[in-house]
Amino acid sequence: MNNIRKNRWKDQVFKIWGIFCTLIGLVLLVVFIGDILIDGLTRINWDFITNLPSRKPENSGIYTALMGSIWILLLTTIIAFPIGVAAGIYLEEYSKKNRLSGLLEINISNLAGVPSIIYGLLGLEVFVRIMNLGASVLAGSLTLSLLILPIVIVATREAIKAVPSSIKDASYALGASKWQTIWHQILPASGGGILTGVILALSRAVGETAPLIVVGALAYVPFVPQSPLDEFSVLPIQIFNWISRPQAGFIENAAAAIIVLLAITFVMNGIAVYFRNKWQKKWK
Amino acid sequence: MEIIMEPSIMKINTLDRIVDHSLKKVPKIDLQGVKVWYDDFMAIKGIDMSVKQNTVTAFIGPSGCGKSTFLRMINRMNDYVDGFKMEGKIKIDGDNIYKKKVNVEELRKKVGMVFQKPNPFPKSIFENVAYGLKIQGIKDKDFIKERVESSLKQVALWDEVKDDLKKSGMALSGGQQQRLCIARTLAVEPSIILMDEPTSSLDPISTAKIEELIYQLKEKYTIVIITHNMQQASRISDYTAFFYLGELIEYDKTKKIFTNPEKTQTENYITGRFG
Repeated sequence: MNNIRKNRWKDQVFKIWGIFCTLIGLVLLVVFIGDILIDGLTRINWDFITNLPSRKPENSGIYTALMGSIWILLLTTIIAFPIGVAAGIYLEEYSKKNRLSGLLEINISNLAGVPSIIYGLLGLEVFVRIMNLGASVLAGSLTLSLLILPIVIVATREAIKAVPSSIKDASYALGASKWQTIWHQILPASGGGILTGVILALSRAVGETAPLIVVGALAYVPFVPQSPLDEFSVLPIQIFNWISRPQAGFIENAAAAIIVLLAITFVMNGIAVYFRNKWQKKWK
Repeated sequence: MEIIMEPSIMKINTLDRIVDHSLKKVPKIDLQGVKVWYDDFMAIKGIDMSVKQNTVTAFIGPSGCGKSTFLRMINRMNDYVDGFKMEGKIKIDGDNIYKKKVNVEELRKKVGMVFQKPNPFPKSIFENVAYGLKIQGIKDKDFIKERVESSLKQVALWDEVKDDLKKSGMALSGGQQQRLCIARTLAVEPSIILMDEPTSSLDPISTAKIEELIYQLKEKYTIVIITHNMQQASRISDYTAFFYLGELIEYDKTKKIFTNPEKTQTENYITGRFG
């Protein structure tokens, strides 16, 4: 075999290996989703969405958990979005590039890799105990905000970095202040990218279980939170709770709840992809 | 579209110009002992120079000779560069612009800048020209409309774009974009315009239009332009400054530089023997 044929053969082998590896992921996902759909799809109806949890699986619904998840999602957005974006803008546009900013940068990236249960422990100590918020929606949201802040900050910085410096120069040269340049040029140009990052971070937050369990979210809540200081449950915890029950009916419920949770994440990711594409087109 | 002039603002502007003309004897821009460092690298090694009002001054020299840095000193665009340090004085109309209390934003309204690559904002043509006024807090819509129109007319772009002012500035051709960028600068009514190789990315026809424009703008503005095109420098400028390795080698009337330069280095550069 000469060299060219050998290289071609290697190329083919790698290609097949690549296809195989891709398929592993895809097949597993399809099997998992298929299994969940078979188990849970029949269980999904309006009553399942609007019923409160019950001791009888056929009467049980996800209403409180779904509302809890929505509360958590909204509060986490309200807390993490402005703080994360502001921090990203500061680091990218205002802070001088020196050792301190380098250290900050590395640590923020590291924070994105800290296991989520650690954030749960931090939230339990700081928000639940020291700030005395109890096992409330607010404490949970604050904890999840901490968890996603690094992601939001990094996404904001990347989006701002992608704005051509010629645009900033043009704005400054016309007598715009830093803030005017950020507000009128940088944010509109990077908004799509920032939004994409925030949505992806939030879709991670909505699936988190461990930190909320540590903070003290309840598995059984017979009411919908009325204020940020009420106790709450969320979909992943409801699912976890149902799966650990012996009755077969609850397993079905869990599968149905997983479908709802997956749907929420998929929709959020879809919105993120939509914004990303729209934003990329603008700059081409 | 009905145009309503803003009488009070018009009056102030004419007044300004009269005062400006009476000051003609003071150099418009006076640079004294200017040294610039980027961290440890010395980009400008001590330059003295003065620029007269209502003239076009060309900066020539090989890439990396410091002419861009020097130009950006005049509207303090180097302030945001990491590791930037400077020494010396730069006076515009007699006032040192590097004094502590100087408002950089106000300075940049007085000293406009046009860049190498056309860089319109990803906004409409109208918004591009109106941007400089809007950030000054001007809300008078008729005044903004009038100023947008007059600025676009000055750069001879009005007839080409008057029917689609709402179109994105980025949809224009390269030459049109650059004229839009000049119009955007004119809308703020600066007295000095800095141009950093404004035609280097344009075709010959667009270049000719911009050169013609520069020639006309000289009546109202003081222009400093960087160019790598020797013919362009000799065509449009009154004075030419030759930079090399962070130093000002020769600065004189353009005619003198191009016909009878003092230094052999200058001669070698303009005749294309090096650089």
